[in-house]
Amino acid sequence: MTLFLILFAQASFAQANSITSPNVSANALFLYQHSNLNDKDLSTTRNGVDLREAEIAFYADVDPYTQLKMILALRPQYEVSGGSVEQSFILEPEELYADTRQIPGLTLKLGKFLAAFGKHNELHTHAFPFIDAPLANTYLLGDEGLNDVGFSAAYLIPTNWYNEITLQFLRGEGENTQFNSAKPGDGVGLVHWKNLVDLSDSLTAELGGSYAEGQNSLKGKTTLTGADLTFKYRPVVGGKYHSAIFAGEYLHRQLEQPGHEDEIGYGWNVWGQYQFAERWAAKSRYDHFSASGGHSTNSSALTTGKTNKYAASIVFNATEFSSYQVEYSYSHFPKNSFDESEDKKIYFQANFTIGAHPTHRY
Amino acid sequence: MLSPRADAKLLVIATTTDLSDLVHRIGGDQTVTFAVAKGTQDPHHIEAKPSFMVRFHKADLVVSQGLELEWAWLEGLTKGARNPRILRGTTGFLELGPELNPLEISKGKVSRAEGDVHPNGNPHFHLDPIRMGQAGQILAKRLGELDPEHQDLFDSRANSYKKELEDKTQDWKKRIKKTGIQEIVTHHKTLTYFCNRFEIKCQLQLEPKPGIPPTASHLLEVIAQMKGRQIKLVLIENYFSSDFAEKLKAQVPQAQVKRVPVSVGGESKISNQIDLYEKLVQVFEEASL
Repeated sequence: MTLFLILFAQASFAQANSITSPNVSANALFLYQHSNLNDKDLSTTRNGVDLREAEIAFYADVDPYTQLKMILALRPQYEVSGGSVEQSFILEPEELYADTRQIPGLTLKLGKFLAAFGKHNELHTHAFPFIDAPLANTYLLGDEGLNDVGFSAAYLIPTNWYNEITLQFLRGEGENTQFNSAKPGDGVGLVHWKNLVDLSDSLTAELGGSYAEGQNSLKGKTTLTGADLTFKYRPVVGGKYHSAIFAGEYLHRQLEQPGHEDEIGYGWNVWGQYQFAERWAAKSRYDHFSASGGHSTNSSALTTGKTNKYAASIVFNATEFSSYQVEYSYSHFPKNSFDESEDKKIYFQANFTIGAHPTHRY
Repeated sequence: MLSPRADAKLLVIATTTDLSDLVHRIGGDQTVTFAVAKGTQDPHHIEAKPSFMVRFHKADLVVSQGLELEWAWLEGLTKGARNPRILRGTTGFLELGPELNPLEISKGKVSRAEGDVHPNGNPHFHLDPIRMGQAGQILAKRLGELDPEHQDLFDSRANSYKKELEDKTQDWKKRIKKTGIQEIVTHHKTLTYFCNRFEIKCQLQLEPKPGIPPTASHLLEVIAQMKGRQIKLVLIENYFSSDFAEKLKAQVPQAQVKRVPVSVGGESKISNQIDLYEKLVQVFEEASL
């Protein structure tokens, strides 16, 4: 925390000199939520208003060859002790990597980063289209997504459309239990293929495919497969006031459990967004997840059964730097330890950014 | 420095259609150009489509208006292109705005509480024909660095274009002066350079602050000011909604409210910068009839 304060103070103090100070920006997400589940399970999410997350980003050119980016995340966590709940905050590097800027067609990256697996996994929390990540991302990749230390090479294949192949090798430790082999050196190999074509000046289609493989803590192999398809429409005339997105993503995970059948988990979601005024948009998502074969030898085994979730959301973007989102979601899942099988949630989220102008991801 | 390709033209990416027209005028047959923001789009808010990165990847030069106009999207495109020739600070990246004596440079400390401010100056210099003439000369110099064989040709075209714009500006000035219109209202500060060049006051905007959509209370204030100061012409950049124009027409029937193109391609008949200036001058003339 002290280190962060020193860095932030120095960067803010020296904004005028971009050589001696990095670009700095900060984002804060405040969330009110109310769910029929949260009154019972106090250890994860809680009803009421809270600081969901704050991110602080520093980035600058290191020299003519590389750039360095550091994103620190501040999140609350809860500890249940007897009848009381204590809140504390953790500060950790969300991403911290150096990447190249001088190699034609190729970006090499080294450090801790969100893996290029599918479309949603590379989004930071404040850029999620809905309050929650899709079910498959949460259950198969973890609460923080597939985020690890590793090496990445992203090559822009010279074709007439955007055609990028990314190869990544991740350490396979950390937060992602499906790849946390006890044996040092067991890493995760990942390949992602991304294509985007302009169907017209107003309409794009993006198609992606992902595959990852590595050893898990049960001395078996885990494989992840993903596919995503996105259409974006923003008319060249009137696009300031109207636009639309239609997207879908599929994730599948097969986890070997030696001595038992494999655990299989898969999920897919489809969602749409319509911008109906300069600062307003409405969204809706259907999300499905299914799991089978989870075994008690795996401490993070998936619960067998099917979950379906529906969400609807309205967003008001006051400016590029602040937005407000109201969302309702309903999900139906296999009965949990509280004998519940439904979750009805209402959310209100406020999203604020200060500092250097963020580059908007398409 | 890049060496010219004898068998190929320079590929120049312009961030706006106004700059791609300038590249066309100065670079001629020695260049191929592409504009990212179309004339009907607000250049502040362009999406950094990966398909643009494919074009940037092949580019020899990127020409931007600068002064933070393209802040939200240009950095993402140049980085995603993986083309070291066009990175900021190289010969392949040209930011024109800072070289053209920008107007409205912020004094003292600025904050986003003032809206989407551009601390280093208003970036919409393309609506000043004199500055665009100067921009042509700067561009010619840069094209010459990339293709020395045609340096003289680029310089000659730039000088000729600058002279043409200066001569026409004298005529446009006379025509606007003849209309008797001394003050107008605009939606955003897009026409600041045009007004400055043609000695028209345009200090009133429908936006309460830069980048913030009009509010009912601010519109009432603008209407009161229009009545008090006898302002009879409102020009709304045509990528903004016509709703505001309708509201003003209803409230101030004696004023003329016109939606106008502010970039090349902003209307189908505006195919170059001179067409654009001519159109704006005609709007003044029609408003005075």
